[in-house]
Amino acid sequence: MKTINKDKEAKKTAMKELRGLRKNLIAAASSTMKIQKKDMAAIKTFLKGEAATIPEISARIDMPTDKTLWYMATLKKYGQIIEGEKEGAFFKYSLNEPEKTQEKAEA
Amino acid sequence: MVSTHIKNFDTLVVGGGIAGLQTALDLGDQGYRVAVVEKDASIGGKMIRLSKVFPTLDCASCITTPKMSAVAHHENITLFTYCELNSLDHDGSGESQGIKALITQNPRYVDPVKCIGCRQCEYVCPVHIPDMEQGGLSATKAISIPFSNAIPQLPIMDIENCMLCGQCEKACPTNAIDYFQKPEEFTITAKTAVITTGFDLLAVKDNVQYGNGRIPNVIDSLQMERLLAPHGPYNRVLRPSDGMEPDSIAYVQCAGSRDKSMGVSYCSRVCCMYAIKQAMLLSGSLPLADIIIYYMDIRAFGKGYEQFYQNAKAMGIEFVKAKVARIDKGENGSAQVRYELQDGSGIATTDHDLVVLSMGMVPGWNPEPICPVSKDSDQFITSIKPKISPVLTNMDGLFVAGAAAGPKDIVDTITESGSAAMEAAKFMSKSLMEN
Repeated sequence: MKTINKDKEAKKTAMKELRGLRKNLIAAASSTMKIQKKDMAAIKTFLKGEAATIPEISARIDMPTDKTLWYMATLKKYGQIIEGEKEGAFFKYSLNEPEKTQEKAEA
Repeated sequence: MVSTHIKNFDTLVVGGGIAGLQTALDLGDQGYRVAVVEKDASIGGKMIRLSKVFPTLDCASCITTPKMSAVAHHENITLFTYCELNSLDHDGSGESQGIKALITQNPRYVDPVKCIGCRQCEYVCPVHIPDMEQGGLSATKAISIPFSNAIPQLPIMDIENCMLCGQCEKACPTNAIDYFQKPEEFTITAKTAVITTGFDLLAVKDNVQYGNGRIPNVIDSLQMERLLAPHGPYNRVLRPSDGMEPDSIAYVQCAGSRDKSMGVSYCSRVCCMYAIKQAMLLSGSLPLADIIIYYMDIRAFGKGYEQFYQNAKAMGIEFVKAKVARIDKGENGSAQVRYELQDGSGIATTDHDLVVLSMGMVPGWNPEPICPVSKDSDQFITSIKPKISPVLTNMDGLFVAGAAAGPKDIVDTITESGSAAMEAAKFMSKSLMEN
């Protein structure tokens, strides 16, 4: 038991040292992550109401279209949004809500 | 750091692309013990990143994955991925010397023995970074497996973008995360070596007249391969600037190749065929789109290639014999292509929704100062007998195969890999008989 606690303590100290060494990298990554989190939350909040195309989402949340597409491709890859029907030259995207999809299928 | 680990093999293959895999399989099947050293986190090279191959339009992944798997499971082949080659030379002096390579295993920050490739670390990681496996067109996580059929199925942690938040460590069911991993040096000794380091595309940013990569919707051919791949960034062909399905797509041939000002005076040999292949695939996925190929000459040199070209023309792909002088930003995300028609009818400008640059091929590896093998003026490795045995180099027991010796297609690469394996086997049996 004592050995386990010692190991835990040693790891904690080593992690603290590592965090100190990588201080600048960690700060930059944290700042990037916060922006990404906010941007993706804005996209998902907008999509809660309706399915939309990239230019529609972009205009609504005030984000460049290329950046919006980059986020949408990523959210789609990780299963958080799904591609819907085409409207003109653009595809519509909506939130991936498995429960709703199941309800629809059952109905 | 002094290397303490020495591993002995019959042949060292440098590069785990299709040339390296084929060479390793051909030698491994003959009973030779082969080490494959690869700089990337997965084997497969450029070919595993392609959508389909010409002229058969077979799925590239369907051909490459079984070879990757065969290499990974072969009893005579050992894989060393995510490694750096620090030096490669003859071991000792005299004529009977073997090959000695100093290699660094880069840290993945994941224990390869404990990791089961479940991707839980990737799913919980909160930091997104551009996914270069998808041409930067979508994102991946700061800890991730490079692509779905990567071999080995091991994630890499990008410490430049890691917050050390500990989420991956908490999610890992086998305690495989190791934040303290360090680079490890080791030595490989072998009787022979085969260089199969492949090619890179000339960077779009180096091409001033085509916008230095700053014009939206001007991409290179490998990015288009990803757009065409079923597991690509958008799972369909969309314009990267706004997600529009393109209605007009142009290919600019010899973008970098046959151009002394770009430092690539030679023909890259495969651009004509891959542009035709991509155009055919595009006309399948976007049947109403206009697809134009601006070319100087079409070089359809291989078996079945001319027929492939004629089929593309019959499908409605437009071939315009013209030299593109420049590309500018157009309206509504379009790219404006300005070109001189080769029939003497003058200069014209056309707007396209998407422009693909067939960039020139350059060597994937510079042997200087790692290995004393000689290079040609084009910077590819010199074949000392290009007509009768193109795999021979100026170093005894060191052979070259595939695009490391110059631009070539997959068919020629595989043929040459077989030849390199045969030459290496011949060299080893000759040495055995002499001793």
